[in-house]
Amino acid sequence: MTPQQIALVQSSFERLGPRLPDMATRFYQELFARDPALRPLFTTPMDQQKVRFAEKLTEIVRAMPRLDELLTHTHSLGARHAGYGVRAADYQTLGDALLAALAATLGDSFDTPTREAWALAYNLVAETMLEGAAARPISS
Amino acid sequence: MLAGVAVTAQRWPIVGRRLELEVFERVLCSGEHAGLVIYGRAGTGKTRLADECRQQAAKGGHPTERVAGSRTTALLPLGAVAALLVGGLGRPGPEGQVDAVALFEHTRRALHDRYHGRRLVTVADDVAQLDAASLALLEYLAAQGTIFLVATVRTGEPVPDLVTTLWRDGRVERVDLHDLSRAHLDTLLHLALGGPIEAGAGREFWEATRGNPLFVRELVLGALESGALVERSGVWHLEDRLPTTSRLADLVEQRIGGLPGQARSVVELLALCEPVDLDYLDTVAPAGVLESLERAGLVTIAVAEGEVRLAHPLHGKVVRAAIPRLRARTILLAEADRLEAAAPAPSPAALRIALWRLDAGGRPDPAVLVRGAHLARYAHDFRTVRRLVEAVPGQDLDAVGALLLGEALYELGVFDAAERVLARGLQLPSSQHLALRLAVTRAKNAQWGLCRPEAALAINAAARAVITSQPLAEELVADEASVLTFSGHPGRALAVLERITGSDRRTRVVQAIAAAPALAVTGRTAQAVAAAEAGYTDHVALGEELAIAHPAMHLVNQVFALTEAGRLAEAEQLARAGAEIVASQRVPIAQIFFAANIGRVATLQGRVATARRYYAEAAGLAEANRFAGPRRLALSGLALAHAMLGDAQAAAQALAERATMPAFGFRGPEQQLADAWTAIASRQPAEAADRFRAAAAQAASTGHRTTESWLLHDLVRTSGQDASARLRDLATACDSPLVSARARHAAAARARDPLELAGAADDFQALGAMLLAAEAAAGAADAFSQAGDRRATTAALRRSVELAAACEGAVTPGLFRAATVHAAAAVPLSGREREIAMLAAAGLASKDIAERLYLSVRTVNNHLQHAYTKLGVSDRAALAQALGSIA
Repeated sequence: MTPQQIALVQSSFERLGPRLPDMATRFYQELFARDPALRPLFTTPMDQQKVRFAEKLTEIVRAMPRLDELLTHTHSLGARHAGYGVRAADYQTLGDALLAALAATLGDSFDTPTREAWALAYNLVAETMLEGAAARPISS
Repeated sequence: MLAGVAVTAQRWPIVGRRLELEVFERVLCSGEHAGLVIYGRAGTGKTRLADECRQQAAKGGHPTERVAGSRTTALLPLGAVAALLVGGLGRPGPEGQVDAVALFEHTRRALHDRYHGRRLVTVADDVAQLDAASLALLEYLAAQGTIFLVATVRTGEPVPDLVTTLWRDGRVERVDLHDLSRAHLDTLLHLALGGPIEAGAGREFWEATRGNPLFVRELVLGALESGALVERSGVWHLEDRLPTTSRLADLVEQRIGGLPGQARSVVELLALCEPVDLDYLDTVAPAGVLESLERAGLVTIAVAEGEVRLAHPLHGKVVRAAIPRLRARTILLAEADRLEAAAPAPSPAALRIALWRLDAGGRPDPAVLVRGAHLARYAHDFRTVRRLVEAVPGQDLDAVGALLLGEALYELGVFDAAERVLARGLQLPSSQHLALRLAVTRAKNAQWGLCRPEAALAINAAARAVITSQPLAEELVADEASVLTFSGHPGRALAVLERITGSDRRTRVVQAIAAAPALAVTGRTAQAVAAAEAGYTDHVALGEELAIAHPAMHLVNQVFALTEAGRLAEAEQLARAGAEIVASQRVPIAQIFFAANIGRVATLQGRVATARRYYAEAAGLAEANRFAGPRRLALSGLALAHAMLGDAQAAAQALAERATMPAFGFRGPEQQLADAWTAIASRQPAEAADRFRAAAAQAASTGHRTTESWLLHDLVRTSGQDASARLRDLATACDSPLVSARARHAAAARARDPLELAGAADDFQALGAMLLAAEAAAGAADAFSQAGDRRATTAALRRSVELAAACEGAVTPGLFRAATVHAAAAVPLSGREREIAMLAAAGLASKDIAERLYLSVRTVNNHLQHAYTKLGVSDRAALAQALGSIA
């Protein structure tokens, strides 16, 4: 990512402001619409789940400019998700849902450069989450 | 902030490969799979992914190993997989032979014991580079569940049998790697550099690499080292242009070319002899050199195993290409001496030591070479056998080496050299056992290679004079019978076989090879099929042995026996299955015989175009592998098929090619079908009849009963001459319904008995011999017509035409008769039909005929169709003949 792209991700995220819970709600709608089979993986009550998602996303967006800090978040997050049964193939769906939720919430200001920056940011987060997932010992 | 960078070179991030890693994890844990195969172009990260799989497995508590082929390891069988031979190379047998099956099994047990039954996850990088014996061992261990194989295959390179076999059995999963997407490249750079990159630099990396992961790695590490890529205020910038080469190898060369002398020495040693002990390298390389190489991403240090390797196979390739030959030789020999001093023979290192000596052009221990040759022989890799044994100095070549080399030369079609080596081997001191094998191989070479059966019999007789202990003496008798069978003396062969008790398995195998074709051709087809089946079972139980035919030859014999028994469909099915097996195992002689037998069955089925195709294939294979005798057989079949298709010129051409081969007695009388049929196609019926009679007489004198029946029946069908009495005797002497059907047909033709002729057609049709059935039906129509039974005539004619439709354009006198019967006895052509038929026979297209006669094309075609039906023909070539006969 370029420094400009990181800045773009952060500024657009700031713009969500009080609409962050709406974005979280939309994210899960988009996600389960794309793949209903993912729903049973989320065992926490949905209200709590959305709050957690919003908190985690905030932490990650703040850590974006500093890779080592970002990795501490994403590695542990990836390991946890692997424990829930999220597979590598699901990350594509998660990314699509996130971009759709951001677009719906931010409206016109979610322009092409912003979308591209978020796509790259998500790719980085997903790859490092999967790295964290892979660090768990495999069962046999 | 830049904590990432130092880590980077040692553990370059892996990006965009998580789905593939998940596949690995799944198949490893499923227990149903024997491995994973990773396909991809150069630089897509196959090696990296395979190593990542290995680390994942290690983390899960699996033992792991890594093997890789190279030019050096390819020199000696199993050289590439020396690391797996934890049980050592095993003890050679009393005559120096290596039992490969026992070695594989011994290795399996040793691995099983060492890892307490856990599967050893084994990365085999670039399997196309592995020698045949290594592939065979990996396949064995994978199939037995001793290892879990992670193999990489470069797209576009030939895929080894190991992979195709496991794949066919559904035992391996496959993943395909591609270059990275732009987004993945971006993530990779971010992780490798530890922070964001300036937009222009990111674009330049994309344009230079197009997402090829290895290219990215080399470019980034090179740019970091050269100072072209620098970090300012937490952002990476390109201060200099990236190297412009688009060749990965150039890039690696540039990187390695810049190394200081001491580092270069380490890299060269690794390129030639990796892996090298970490402890040893620590003592010879100045402090810091290894670390700097590791930082630069050129070597990987596995501390747990105490081993150092180059980071990527490409590095080794580039370095090896650049080392002067003399320098490489010095390094290899020094390393061989060092390892030999550290681990006196026999040790698992013996293979590697021999490899380095070989690569250095030095003289490895002849025992190691011969042992290697045994292993290569097990994998049917005769080129390697030849190369290894020829590396043994002449004075050191013993009888075992002579046997291995002689057999390899025979298999490679170098028959004169094989004769020299085997004759010399027989003069070297050896046991009776070994002398027997030398003699048998030499006789085989004389018969099949040099086409001199009388020399083969002389070699056999000489051996029988000196080898008198049992069961060896008996095996020689079986071998004498084999020479007789395959030189055209089935009757004598069977008489010789009477002298054998058959208590020894090996003798029984040789006996079966000689007996099955002899029994079949003398008309004892049920016994022949049983003998071939038993021979195959015995041969498989016997395992691989020197100087004995391939087990598939029993299947070839069984196909022949089934054909003589008139079980054509079964014969065809077995031949096709066999052909598939030997094609993948590359056993040329069996490939030739399967193809020729498919052609032979097709001839009897009346599928003459199919026959032509398979005989041509057999002839081509025989030519390529320099088997003159089998080539002669195939060319005879090819001429026969051409002639039955009415192509006299092509038939004559095949015969002319055949005339350049030495005589070959096996199925000698049958070969003469080709001459007789070529005479028929050339409209020389009298000559054809003479040839049929002469060949039949030869068949009778040598005991070829089924062949005699074929020849006499063909005489009957093509000339109208009578041979019914002899055919009846043959039917009584043989247990084959095909021979009986021929006798019935001949008797019915002689008696002009329409119902019996129709019955013969039934018999042929039931056997699947459609051309013979069509001809018998035509004969029935003729007889009905003469008896004045119009309705029965038309029905028999219709049946004949229908049967002939399955005969792929066969043009035989018997079919031709159907047309004349039609013309003479059935419905005459109308004036218009005749007019149109004549024009069509003259070669005019329907459109042209329509124009000329002011008719529509449809009308022309209708008339033509009526003419076809009335004349009992199905195409224009036959139309011309039919019109010729009634004009």
